Amino acid sequence: MEDRIAALQTEAVAAIESATDRKSLDAARVTHLGKSGGITRLSEGMRDVSKDDRPRLGKLLNELRQAVNAALEARELALATESDAAALAALDITLPGTRSETGSIHPLTHLLDKAVGIFRRLGFVLADGPDIETEWHCFDALNTPADHPARNEQDTFYLPDGRLLRTHTSSVQVRVMESQAPPVRIIAPGAAYRRDEVDATHLAQFTQMEGLYVDRQVSVADLKGTLEYFFRELFGPETEIRFRPHFFPFTEPSYEIDIRAQALGGKWMELAGCGMVDPAVFEGICQKRGDRVFDPEEVTGFAFGFGLDRLAMNLIQIPDIRMLVENDLRFLQQFPA
Amino acid sequence: MKISLNWLREYGTLPESVSELAELLTRAGVEVEEVITHGVDLPEVVVAQIVSSDPHPNADRLSVCQVDDGSGEPRQIVCGAKNYQVGDKVPLALPGAILPGDFKIKVGKLRGVKSEGMMAAAEELGLPKAGEGLLILPQEARVGAPLSEIFPAESVLDLEITPNRPDLLSHVGMAREVAALTGAAWQDRPFVEGDLPSVTAPVAIETPLCSLYTLQALHGVTVGPSPDWLRKKLEAVGLRSINTIVDVTNFVLFETGQPLHAFDADKIEGEILVRPAGESRDFEALDEQRYALDPGDVVIADASGPVALAGVMGGRHSGVTATTCNLLLESACFDAGQVRKTSRRLGLASDSSHRFERGVDPAGVLPAARRAVEMILELAGGSVGELRVTGPVRDPIPARVVPLRLERLAAVLGIPVSADKVDAILTGFGLGKTGQGWEIPTFRQDLTREVDLIEEIARVIGMGAIPSRISATPAVPGEADVAYDFQMDLRRKLVAQGLNEARTSALVSSGGGCEEALRLRNPLGEDQAFLRTSLVPGLLTALTHNIRQGMRRVALFEIGRTFHAGNPEESMTLALVLNGVTAAADWRGTPARAFDWHDARGRLEALLPAPCQLRPTTAKVPFALVAEILVGECCVGVLGQLAPSEAKKLDAEGPVLAAEISLVALRGLGRDFNYREFPRFPAMGRDIALLCPLDLSYADVERTLREANEKLLVQIEPFDVFIDPTGEKVPRDRKSIGISLTFRAPTRTLNSEEVNTAFESLKESLGTKLAVDFR
Repeated sequence: MEDRIAALQTEAVAAIESATDRKSLDAARVTHLGKSGGITRLSEGMRDVSKDDRPRLGKLLNELRQAVNAALEARELALATESDAAALAALDITLPGTRSETGSIHPLTHLLDKAVGIFRRLGFVLADGPDIETEWHCFDALNTPADHPARNEQDTFYLPDGRLLRTHTSSVQVRVMESQAPPVRIIAPGAAYRRDEVDATHLAQFTQMEGLYVDRQVSVADLKGTLEYFFRELFGPETEIRFRPHFFPFTEPSYEIDIRAQALGGKWMELAGCGMVDPAVFEGICQKRGDRVFDPEEVTGFAFGFGLDRLAMNLIQIPDIRMLVENDLRFLQQFPA
Repeated sequence: MKISLNWLREYGTLPESVSELAELLTRAGVEVEEVITHGVDLPEVVVAQIVSSDPHPNADRLSVCQVDDGSGEPRQIVCGAKNYQVGDKVPLALPGAILPGDFKIKVGKLRGVKSEGMMAAAEELGLPKAGEGLLILPQEARVGAPLSEIFPAESVLDLEITPNRPDLLSHVGMAREVAALTGAAWQDRPFVEGDLPSVTAPVAIETPLCSLYTLQALHGVTVGPSPDWLRKKLEAVGLRSINTIVDVTNFVLFETGQPLHAFDADKIEGEILVRPAGESRDFEALDEQRYALDPGDVVIADASGPVALAGVMGGRHSGVTATTCNLLLESACFDAGQVRKTSRRLGLASDSSHRFERGVDPAGVLPAARRAVEMILELAGGSVGELRVTGPVRDPIPARVVPLRLERLAAVLGIPVSADKVDAILTGFGLGKTGQGWEIPTFRQDLTREVDLIEEIARVIGMGAIPSRISATPAVPGEADVAYDFQMDLRRKLVAQGLNEARTSALVSSGGGCEEALRLRNPLGEDQAFLRTSLVPGLLTALTHNIRQGMRRVALFEIGRTFHAGNPEESMTLALVLNGVTAAADWRGTPARAFDWHDARGRLEALLPAPCQLRPTTAKVPFALVAEILVGECCVGVLGQLAPSEAKKLDAEGPVLAAEISLVALRGLGRDFNYREFPRFPAMGRDIALLCPLDLSYADVERTLREANEKLLVQIEPFDVFIDPTGEKVPRDRKSIGISLTFRAPTRTLNSEEVNTAFESLKESLGTKLAVDFR
C-alpha cells in the first residue's frame, strides 16, 4: 500500500506539473482526485486495510491528498500567471495612442477669460453694451469734438440711420454710468470696429476690453496700482510697466501703457490706453441722467482699454493677425482647452 | 513731425545725448517714433591723403598704402579696395575708432604686414553707400580734419505730436517744451523786434472762418537758390529746397509753427479777398492737381477766382517762380474745423493744413510774417511794401486765467505736490501766476480747465513719483456676469465634445439667413457690407477653408453676436458646424464613420437641461432639411443638414450639419441641478423588433410606447434601424426598428412574469395603434 501511495504521488505530481493549460490540469485533477480517480480508489481500498495499519496508512493517504492538492494549486497559479502574461504579451505598447477628440478654445477667448478672471479678483464686474451704437454714446459722451477725425466716414462704419458700429468699447462706460450710480467697477470685453483695410496687423473688427472705476477719491495712484497688478498677473511678476503721458479726449491725465515681458518676446510694446475720467465726461453723464451723482467735484475715476487681438498675436507669437479669424483647425487645435 | 537737433539747439540747451532727449520727451508724452542720424559723429575718423600704394607681398588682392593723416608722420594702411589713385583723399579710421556695428579699429597685421588703421567706404561709416570701394573725398578736404567737418553729424527726431499740442509742431515750440521739462534756459522767439509796420488797408474777409488775415507786400526781390545752411535745415526735416522765397516760408513754418504763403503779386488780379468758394468750383493747386471745391470751402481769391485754398495749399498760377519779383506774403489764422474738413474731403494734406487743423497761435501770426520778411530781405533783397491786416492784431485775445487748487491736484494724482513745485512747473511752461489763477499763454490753447493744468504737472513729475495703490471691494455680479459665465460654460461643454471654437467676422457679404440684414452705409467692400444675422455662413466658410486644407474632420462652433432688423437688434447666438470623419478608422480594424444628423443632435442635447423634440420646418437654400429644436414648448434653435448639392459646392463629402441656438432661449430653460433619487433595484430588459412603413417615425413609436402608460417601463432606446434597398431582408417599403425596453420598479426587484405581462401589453398597444408587425 505504501508503495502504491508513493507511486501515485509521483505519478500525480508529474501529471499535474506537465499540464500545459487549464484543460489538461483539470484532466489531471479528475484522473487522480475524481470519482474514479486513483486516489479515490485508494481511499476506498482502506476498507480492506487492517485496523492496525489504518491510522498509519490513513495519514499517508491524507498527506498524498494534500501534496496533490498543493501541486494542483501551484500549477493552477503558475498557469494563471503564464496566461496573464501571455494575454498582455500581445500588447504592442509602441503602437500610437488613440485619443478621444477634444476640442479647443479660441486663443482670444483664452486670453479674455484670463483677463476677466484677474479683474474679478479685484471686485470688478462685467458690463455690456451694443455693438451698434449711437454717435452720442460712442463720441459725444466721451468728450470727442464734433469734427474729430475718428467720427469720419473714412474711419467709422455707419448705418443708414446715422448710428454706427462702436469704434471702441469705451461706449460701455457711458452706458454703465447712465444706468448705475457710483461706485462703479466694471470691465467690458467686446467687439469694436474700425474702417481699416484688413492686413497682417489690422482687422476691421477687433476685440477690446474696457475698464472703469468711479468712486470717491479714486486717483492716478489707484490707476497705476490696479493696472500694474493686472499686467503682472497676466504676463508674470517680472513684467515691466511704463506709463507714458498721452492724449485721449475722454481722460485727463491720459497715459499709454508700454509693457516689456518675456511672455511678449522681451521688447517694449504699446498695449493699452488709460487715464483719469475727464470731468467733461462726468458732466455729460450728469446732464443725461438729470442728477448729480457723477458730479466731478464729488467723484473721480479711471478708465482703461486695450485691444486683445494684437496682445494675443504677440503672446502666442503669430505672424499675421488674420490667423485669428481664418479658423484653420491646425491653428485652433494648438490651443487645447 | 521731424525735429532737427542741430536746429533745435539754436534755441536752448538740450540734454547731452540724443537718447536722453528722446527719453525725456517720451516720458513727457511726446512719442519718439524714430531717431534718424545723418552724417558722421566719429572723432577718430579723419581725412587722409594716399601718398603711395604698393602691392601686398603676400596677397594679390591687397595693397599697402602710405597715407598722410595730418600728423606729420606717414601711416601705413593695408587696403583691399581698388577704386583709388595715389593722391586721393579718403576717410581714415584711426586705431581706437568704433565704427557702426561696434567695429573696433586696432593696429594689426594683415597677411604679415602692419596696418595702422582702416581706410573706409561710405557705408562703413554709416553714410549712404556711394559706389564701390573707398569713399573718395573732394580735393578741398583738409588732411587731418575730422570727417564730421565734411559730413556734420545730425540727429533728427521723428515725433508723434498728439492733436492737443499744436504748439509742439515747430522747433521753437519744441525747444520751449524741452526747457520746461529740463528747467534749462531757452532763447525766446528769435523774431525781429521793433514797432509793427503801419497797416495801410484791411483785406476783405467774407467768412467767419478766418479770424485774422495779414498780407505783407515785398518789392523787387530776386528769387534764387537758397544758401547751404537753409537747404540743409530743410532737408534735415524732410523738405526739398525750392527757391529762396518758398524755402523761407517753409523755414518759418518749421521754426515757429505758423504757416505762410507767398503769392507772386504780379499774377494777382485786383484785390485779394478771403471768401467761401461759392460758385468757384475748380481749383488748380501748387501740386498741379485740379480739385473740385465745395461752396463752403474757404478760398483766397482775386478778381479771377481762387488763388489759394485757405490753410491747405496755394494755387498753381499765383505761386512764386524764378522770375517773381514782387511778393504778397500771407500769414493768417484759419478755422481749424474748416481746414480739416476741406483737407479730408479733397485728400489734400500739407504742412500748413496739419497745423491749421490743430490750431495756430493767433499771437504768432504777425511775428512769423516779420521773421520771414527779415529773412527774405537778407536772402533775396528787395524792399518792404505795405502791410494789410484784418483781425485782432494789436490787442489780441485776452489771456485766459485758469484756477488750480492744490487739494484737487493731490486728490487726482494720489499724492500731494508742493506749491513751489507747482509754480516751478507751470511757470516753466510759460504760464503766469495771478491772484485768480494761472494766466495761459496764447500758444497753449489746450489749457482751459483745472484738470488741464493737473495733467501738465502729472507729465512733469512722471508716473514714477506716484505711488501704486490697489484696493478690492466685494462686487455684486450682474446680468453681464451671469451671461458671461453661461457662455464660458457652454464653450467648455462643446470643447469636451470635440468641437473647436471659431471666431468669424460680424461683417458679411449678405445677411446669410432668411431674414433681412442690416446694411452699412459705408462698407469697406460688398463682401463686408452687412451685419450677420446668423453665425452659420461664417462657419461654413471656415468649413470650406479647412476642407481645402485637407482636414478630414471639421467640428466648429462659435458664440457671438448676430444682428437683426427687429427687436432685439443684437442677440447672442451659438452655432456649430459638423462635417467629415467623427471616428477615424484605426489599426484595430474599427471602421471610419462620418458625422451625421444624430451626432449633431447629440451634441446639442448635451447642452440642454431637458430632452428635446425636433419639429421639421421650412428648409431654405442651402439646407435640405431643417428642424426646430423644442424643449417643452420653447424653441431654442434650429438644426439643419445641407442639401448634398450645396455641400458639394463647399467641397464637403458626406453630411454637413449646422445648428444655431439662441443663448437667451437656452439660458431661459434654466438648469436642473437638484438631487433625484436613483434606482437601487435591478432592471430587466426586453428587446422588441418592429417592421413598419418607411415613413413611420421613431418618435411615433416612442410616443405610442409612452402613452401606453406602463409604470414599470423606465427607458426606451433604439438599438438598430435597418432599411434594405434590395428588399432581400426587409421589404423595400418597410424598415426594421430594434428597440430596447428597460423595466424597473423603484422599491423592489421585479420578477420575469410581471415584466412579460408589461412587455406583451406594450406590444399590443403598438400593434393596435400603429401599422407595425413584430419580427
